[in-house]
Amino acid sequence: MAGGEGSEVNKLLNNTAAWTSLLTFVILALAWFVGFASRLFAIIRFESIIHEFDPWFNYRATHHMVENGFYNFLNWFDERAWYPLGRIVGGTVYPGLMVTSGAIHYVLSLLNIPIHIRDVCVFLAPMFSGLTAISTYFLTRELWSPGAGLFAACFIAITPGYTSRSVAGSYDNEGIAIFALQFTYYLWVKSVKTGSIFWATLTALSYFYMVSAWGGYVFIINLIPLHVLVLLIIGRFNYKIYVAYTTFYVLGQVMAMQIPFVGFQPVKTSEHMAAAGVFGLLHAYAFLKYLQSFLSRKEFRYLFFATIIIAVGVGFVGIVVLTYAGYIAPWSGRFYSLWDTGYAKIHIPIIASVSEHQPTTWVSFFFDLHIMAAVFPAGLWYCVKNVNDERVFIILYAVTAVYFAGVMVRLMLTLAPVVCVLSGIAFSYTYERYLYDEGEAKETPTAVEGKRSKKDEDSATDDQDARNRQLYDKPGKAKKPVKGSGGTTSGGAGGRADDEEGIGMNVRSIVSVALVLTLLMFVVHCTYVTSNAYSHPSIVLQSQTNDGSRVIMDDFREAYYWLRRNTHDQARVMSWWDYGYQIAGMGNRTTLVDNNTWNNSHIALVGKAMSSNESAAYEIMRDLDVDYVLAIFGGVIGYSGDDINKFLWMVRIAEGEHPSEIREGNYFTESGEYSVGPGASDIMLNCVMYKLCYYRFGETKVGYQQPAGFDRTRGYVIGKKDVELEHLEEAYTTENWLVRIYKVKEPANRPKIKYTERKIRTKRAKSSYPKKGKAKKGVIKMKPVVVKGKKPVIKR
Amino acid sequence: MAAMRTTTVLLLLAVFIHDVGGQKALSLDEKVRNLQESLYKKPVMNLNMDRWKTYVRTAPRNYSMIVMFTALSAGVNCPICRPAYDEFHIVANSFRYAYPELKSLYFALVDYEEASNIFQQMNLNTAPVLYHFPAKGGRKKSDQMDFQRHGIDAEAIAKFVQDRTDVQVRVLRPPNYAAPAVVILLAMLVLGLLYMRRNNLEFLYNRTSWGLICLCIVFAFMSGQMWNHIRGPPFVMTNPKTRETTFVHSSSQFQLVSETYLVAVLYAAVTAGVILMNDAVDGKGDPSKRRIMAFVGLGMVVIFFSLLLSVFRSKYQGYPYSFLFH
Repeated sequence: MAGGEGSEVNKLLNNTAAWTSLLTFVILALAWFVGFASRLFAIIRFESIIHEFDPWFNYRATHHMVENGFYNFLNWFDERAWYPLGRIVGGTVYPGLMVTSGAIHYVLSLLNIPIHIRDVCVFLAPMFSGLTAISTYFLTRELWSPGAGLFAACFIAITPGYTSRSVAGSYDNEGIAIFALQFTYYLWVKSVKTGSIFWATLTALSYFYMVSAWGGYVFIINLIPLHVLVLLIIGRFNYKIYVAYTTFYVLGQVMAMQIPFVGFQPVKTSEHMAAAGVFGLLHAYAFLKYLQSFLSRKEFRYLFFATIIIAVGVGFVGIVVLTYAGYIAPWSGRFYSLWDTGYAKIHIPIIASVSEHQPTTWVSFFFDLHIMAAVFPAGLWYCVKNVNDERVFIILYAVTAVYFAGVMVRLMLTLAPVVCVLSGIAFSYTYERYLYDEGEAKETPTAVEGKRSKKDEDSATDDQDARNRQLYDKPGKAKKPVKGSGGTTSGGAGGRADDEEGIGMNVRSIVSVALVLTLLMFVVHCTYVTSNAYSHPSIVLQSQTNDGSRVIMDDFREAYYWLRRNTHDQARVMSWWDYGYQIAGMGNRTTLVDNNTWNNSHIALVGKAMSSNESAAYEIMRDLDVDYVLAIFGGVIGYSGDDINKFLWMVRIAEGEHPSEIREGNYFTESGEYSVGPGASDIMLNCVMYKLCYYRFGETKVGYQQPAGFDRTRGYVIGKKDVELEHLEEAYTTENWLVRIYKVKEPANRPKIKYTERKIRTKRAKSSYPKKGKAKKGVIKMKPVVVKGKKPVIKR
Repeated sequence: MAAMRTTTVLLLLAVFIHDVGGQKALSLDEKVRNLQESLYKKPVMNLNMDRWKTYVRTAPRNYSMIVMFTALSAGVNCPICRPAYDEFHIVANSFRYAYPELKSLYFALVDYEEASNIFQQMNLNTAPVLYHFPAKGGRKKSDQMDFQRHGIDAEAIAKFVQDRTDVQVRVLRPPNYAAPAVVILLAMLVLGLLYMRRNNLEFLYNRTSWGLICLCIVFAFMSGQMWNHIRGPPFVMTNPKTRETTFVHSSSQFQLVSETYLVAVLYAAVTAGVILMNDAVDGKGDPSKRRIMAFVGLGMVVIFFSLLLSVFRSKYQGYPYSFLFH
């Protein structure tokens, strides 16, 4: 009896498939959990709040949708933004994010789990990071092997390049879009491999989700056609690709057009024309393949080149002509600036002014990718060496993504997944070779199972994985030589069993341990970076006192709360566009401009008001019905992201639209520096922004040693201390002076002019003011009479 | 103010003497006619002392002059003069193309070689300088263009001209055929090579060369060459006081060209180490040789990665972790 049970247990223990799936499941679950947990730093330190700027709009929109329903959300006209223009929100957002969190909220409330929509929004991105890890696992498994997939999943769960956009509270499109991106790529690779309409349809569906979530879907709709094109060029065309691409293209484009914000763009803009061109080319190619069977070889060659050249030429000329005729919109400025890197700086200052649109230094590459940055080229190398249809895809993905990440810091986000995939491949490739026991290889493979070392979970699985391949590869080769090319090409382990002379156990263990050390360093690095660099909510500032304790400065929320409680409901607040979403989201007041920078001239008008003198600004403010003006000032606490440091961009943007009134040169000192110190120009010292920031600042002292009016951020005493305001009055200044709010005064009474100075002297005017001494008692005409009230009769 | 008045007086005196000197003073119509004629010939008029006095300094004027003072001859060491003159010439040419009959603005040039006394008269000891001489009234401070701040680009000069004279010059650059020519030459070279070797196209299927191309692209971008291309940092930095040369800038927001090359090499070395390690296992042959290969590979990974970390630490202040080296 006991022996029978023992053999049962043995059987279970020796069942490799079961062990593999259990380990895979456990590792993926752990990756999810670790990814989720490491994104919670900000929540634990502060509280469950939405971060930064754009997330506030997303939250506000989600809230609106949950309150009013989906259709009302699609038709939402937001009159609280872009006063007096307003904004059609339903048609100008990617609704995927709002719909996703709204759906989660709906399901949870159906299950009677009471949860506020804010909490769903805060935790959405960390939840999706786990899904991203899983889809990365699937993608890498299709490309290489399950072991590489597990590595890649663990990498993407914690890599700072992705964490930076998906910490808790960072409720932004990118958080769910990277999941959609990876999942679409997985399904695409799957459909290229199988050539089935089912997978291609799923790809299109996933693409639809991506389109609804993020503008970066343009990357997919250009990368997949590029993949198909390259496969055509290198002669890897087959009907699987034809089926996959045509299904994906047609369904994907039709579905993308269902998003109101995208509309007819898939057929009308240059960004999508590459996909259409490849679609046509693929058909021409397939048709030629069909003709091939009827024609002689020479005829066919002739026809082939003629058709391809004609197809390419006609397609290209057609697109150019349609572009000039105005049927196809040329590349948008944002897209164009990716190719011509100097374009944005000259033509669109508003794009150049955003810090995440700057090119990337090598430091930020290393900061976001650490060891992976150095190792993933090896994975790329092996993919090129053992190329097949789907690996062409990952090669193209890596090369294009690394280019885009070099041009724009923000696009590091699209590079991080492919780096994780490729370094997963590199590490798994190495461990397959080094965690391989030469002595055991000679024994029967089943006897090895029990001795598995469990030092490191990643290496353990890979160990496992390498042995698996050993198990099924040798018989596999005999049975089905073509299927599972990932296994056969990358494996090599099966062939090595014959090779009696290995390189010895010691070398193997030393290498394995050294690599585990570097991986540990990677984990430590990721935690450090996530905790120190990417977990600042930026609406709450923290600083450390001398004894190391934390001081939290909550000035932004204080100011917005003041606005919410103390101003009229319809009050209009003017501020620079960075704060528009926050004022609308937290203060619930109307703003003039916000982070959705669609109207450059409106922003330039605000910039002009900020950079001209008070009376000129007052006219603009009266025209725009401004009630309050809000400025961010960091001079007291040394906060460097304040409006004075951003001021030059306001001047530049204003100059772009009003070159005759605003000149950038006027705001510099004699020696051409930007300064608010004693050498600053008069125009600088009299502009509204200077006054807003430094009103009564000259009376304060920030430290014991410093003189009055010492600006901590700039590090010198300001140029003009006695700032006087004529048309504005100070309404509120927060504890650390971070936010200053001013009320715009009503126009003063008409000035009284002495009779002698009048140009037009009427007689009546003379007689209406009797001389002194003769004054009679005045009579008030139309004297108000108090009418005795009656008690109103209330009818019921 | 007083100084200005004296100069005016002096100028009047000079004009007077000039007239007395017997040369016929040109009337306004004649001057404009001469300038127009010169404009038809070439966009920028070369001024010698005579012409300088006649067209710029003599009183009846209803046109503005933009004059560049520069030193173009090879004897004077002025590397910036030539490109500045080229840009100036582009603006003048665009102006001539757009408004050949405007008659209120002319472009002129004073070369140090030809008329050094004008430089003395203007109290100039630097070149190049761009002045605007307005039709009416004296020169103001802002009538000199500040090359330091605005640069010498034709667009900047056009903006200066627009500021001072309200004449908007759309800069028309002669199309630069250099870049397309290079591209076409390269393409022809590649196609030619392909044609020469059309019987043996095996090398197109050589995965090693494709792999190397991919890796080169990756290393170039990962080491921030695109940043270099856009921002144009110096190769190394030399401290003016200590004469020490730094190869690695100490801020994480900035980088020098030299350090990006260093980083690219480090990345490449780590990658090569990983590949070497795997080749050691995959290869067949003498086990001890392969063992050494594996150790060399591992050493490359570990050492160069530690170096990378220490370069990173020197730029990113306060980063706590290091490996092998400090």
